[in-house]
Amino acid sequence: MIRTRRGPVAALVALTVVLAACGTAGEVEEPDAEPDTDATSDEPTEEVDEEAEAEPAALSGEITFTTLQLSPDFDAYIEGVIASFESEHPEATIDWVDVPFEGAQERLLADASAGTLADVINLNPDLSFPLAVEGQFVDLDEAGAEVRGDYVEGAWDSFRYPGIDGAFGYPWYLSTEVTMYNAALLEEAGLDPDDAPETFEALFETARTVAENTDARGMHPALENRFVIDLVKLGVEITNDDATEATFNTPEAVELVEELRSLYEDGAISPDSVTEGHRQEIEAYQAGNIALFPTGPNFLNIIEENAPDIAADTRVAPQITGPAGVTGMSVMGLLVPESTDNPDLAHAFAQYMTNGENQLAFAEQVLIFPSIVDALEDPMFTDPDEGDADFAEAISVAAEQLPDAANLRPVVVDEEVNNAIISNVQSAILGDLTAEEALDAATAEVDDILQRRAS
Amino acid sequence: MIGRRWYTPWLFLAPSLVLLTVFMWWPVVNTAALSFTDTHTLRGGGFTGLDNFRRIAGDDFFWNALGNTALFTVIVTPALVVLPLLIAILVSAKLKGMTFFRVVFFSPVVASMVVAALIWGWMLRSDGLVNFVLDRLGVINEPLRWLSDPALVMISVSIVTIWKGLGYYMVIYIAGLQNIPQDLYEAAALDGAGPIRRLWSITLPLMRPTMVLVGTLVTLNAVKVFTEAFVLTGGGPNRASETLVLYIYQRGFSGLELGYSSAMSLVLFVVVLGLTLLSQIVTRRRANP
Repeated sequence: MIRTRRGPVAALVALTVVLAACGTAGEVEEPDAEPDTDATSDEPTEEVDEEAEAEPAALSGEITFTTLQLSPDFDAYIEGVIASFESEHPEATIDWVDVPFEGAQERLLADASAGTLADVINLNPDLSFPLAVEGQFVDLDEAGAEVRGDYVEGAWDSFRYPGIDGAFGYPWYLSTEVTMYNAALLEEAGLDPDDAPETFEALFETARTVAENTDARGMHPALENRFVIDLVKLGVEITNDDATEATFNTPEAVELVEELRSLYEDGAISPDSVTEGHRQEIEAYQAGNIALFPTGPNFLNIIEENAPDIAADTRVAPQITGPAGVTGMSVMGLLVPESTDNPDLAHAFAQYMTNGENQLAFAEQVLIFPSIVDALEDPMFTDPDEGDADFAEAISVAAEQLPDAANLRPVVVDEEVNNAIISNVQSAILGDLTAEEALDAATAEVDDILQRRAS
Repeated sequence: MIGRRWYTPWLFLAPSLVLLTVFMWWPVVNTAALSFTDTHTLRGGGFTGLDNFRRIAGDDFFWNALGNTALFTVIVTPALVVLPLLIAILVSAKLKGMTFFRVVFFSPVVASMVVAALIWGWMLRSDGLVNFVLDRLGVINEPLRWLSDPALVMISVSIVTIWKGLGYYMVIYIAGLQNIPQDLYEAAALDGAGPIRRLWSITLPLMRPTMVLVGTLVTLNAVKVFTEAFVLTGGGPNRASETLVLYIYQRGFSGLELGYSSAMSLVLFVVVLGLTLLSQIVTRRRANP
């Protein structure tokens, strides 16, 4: 899901080799010093620690570890971490398998129904949801109690699911949306390029002004990615607490749909964009067809590679927030399924892969952010001075908003629920339904899906 | 000398029999069995009798998908019966450079459907090539929403299928045309028949069995349409281009309702079977008038 920053890769290969050589050095606490994570929960933590230090080589056996679309870009990094883990635990073997993002869900479900899930699985909250609600993952509130405090709280909580107790993923790398904008287009439209929109009202107004005064459109709605998240930012609850009923049909939602409809009528969003996703949004921004582009900072790499001219005009502002005042982030995690036959090794490895040191090394390669609180305070994020200003700006803007960010997309909003919502919203924006009709229809569809799942 | 043993033919058949059993017959039987259960991909399920079929009867999205598929079939079938025949007649003309045109018309067949749908996706955008050309020709005043207007979107999907299918059916027609004896044309020419008359009285009647064959193939493929709609529109806007197979896929893979989607597959199977039988009857009647 992420692209590499091409430049420093070579340097990083060297870095990972160094890391592999002196594995345990560094200030960040080594989670693998506590391999006995599956110990019964009522055991005091200190005792676990002592036990662990007494026999650190207890880990043995072979486990499988799957990642989501990290090969071949990060082969050297992942293999380096695995090698250093294996050198600390000579009896342990980690088999790494990378899964392309496309079709990941299908493959995961096929593995689950065949009983062949890996022992450590890289997933995001919504991909893991269908399996998690079936109780297929180990609760880390218990199994990972000793390390829980190290992680960003909002990231840890991303892997909680309605109707079941527990958190089910070790947060791995994070990303958080910032607002990229084409300063040249803003200037051309007579706007102050230093005054980027930070609220929804400002965003929509800027989009209109750009569309009126330039050949470009203001923005791309990317409904598939953003509509539900924007509702949450506006304070709308998508479902009730136990996810049995849709609750998003509120005046705020009607207002958002009507606003999108009027942006469409004003030409601030293009007709095609209503049915398009994030991929076409990037294309549109790179072609200079839209001025505003809320997205993860890692897309700066891609823009710089594909459209250097646009990259030169690009500036970065904090994420658009609504009255609810919450900031969103996307979270990747490592999950351990109940089916693993080597839970000790699986937990130890998942904690090792996600520890501060290893995540910082990962962040050196690509614009992602570690899910470890201490690691986020690294000068790399707080004081990013090297290289070009856009990157530095994007990094510090993102790192600043992360500690308080949360995963705003409710896990229950998987592909099916999301489609049910946005397909009706599309009709409303295109004028085939009114906003009320669309949200009524979407509510009925989502209710139907939720009831079927509950039964 | 190698003796004749009873199992020798089976050995030759074994590879394809094994493949067919594993990848075709077993899944077919399994799907049929699943249709009478409420199987969930992860949870499993139990026998529910005809519940799934009752649910299909009352499922508006199923009927919408069936309607879209029917519309698609009605657009695509006549187009892919007539257009490739015309092209086949043109490229069969004994003129220089016809091989070039045959290759040109055939090349989309070789391309992947995903690639074809992506490229058409760009061309059909509101600021895309198709609207640009139509605008320059003065046919339209404002861009058509090929991919987001519910009234147009099935036509857009059909265009991709037709464009990609032309070459394939053209080849079948070329083979058919070569079976028409040349002396019929010569005799007709001597009797004073012009090109149109020869086309109408010789080519078309003699090509009728081939046209029935092509019509059958096109119809059966049209009923199963998936990739074009999936890539071009994802079934949108608001299910206006959701075809039956796309709906089955979504119920099965994002809704995880294996039992219900199997039941819909069984209905699709019955539809395909019915169409096949129908075409057999039609072919037989044509063959023995």
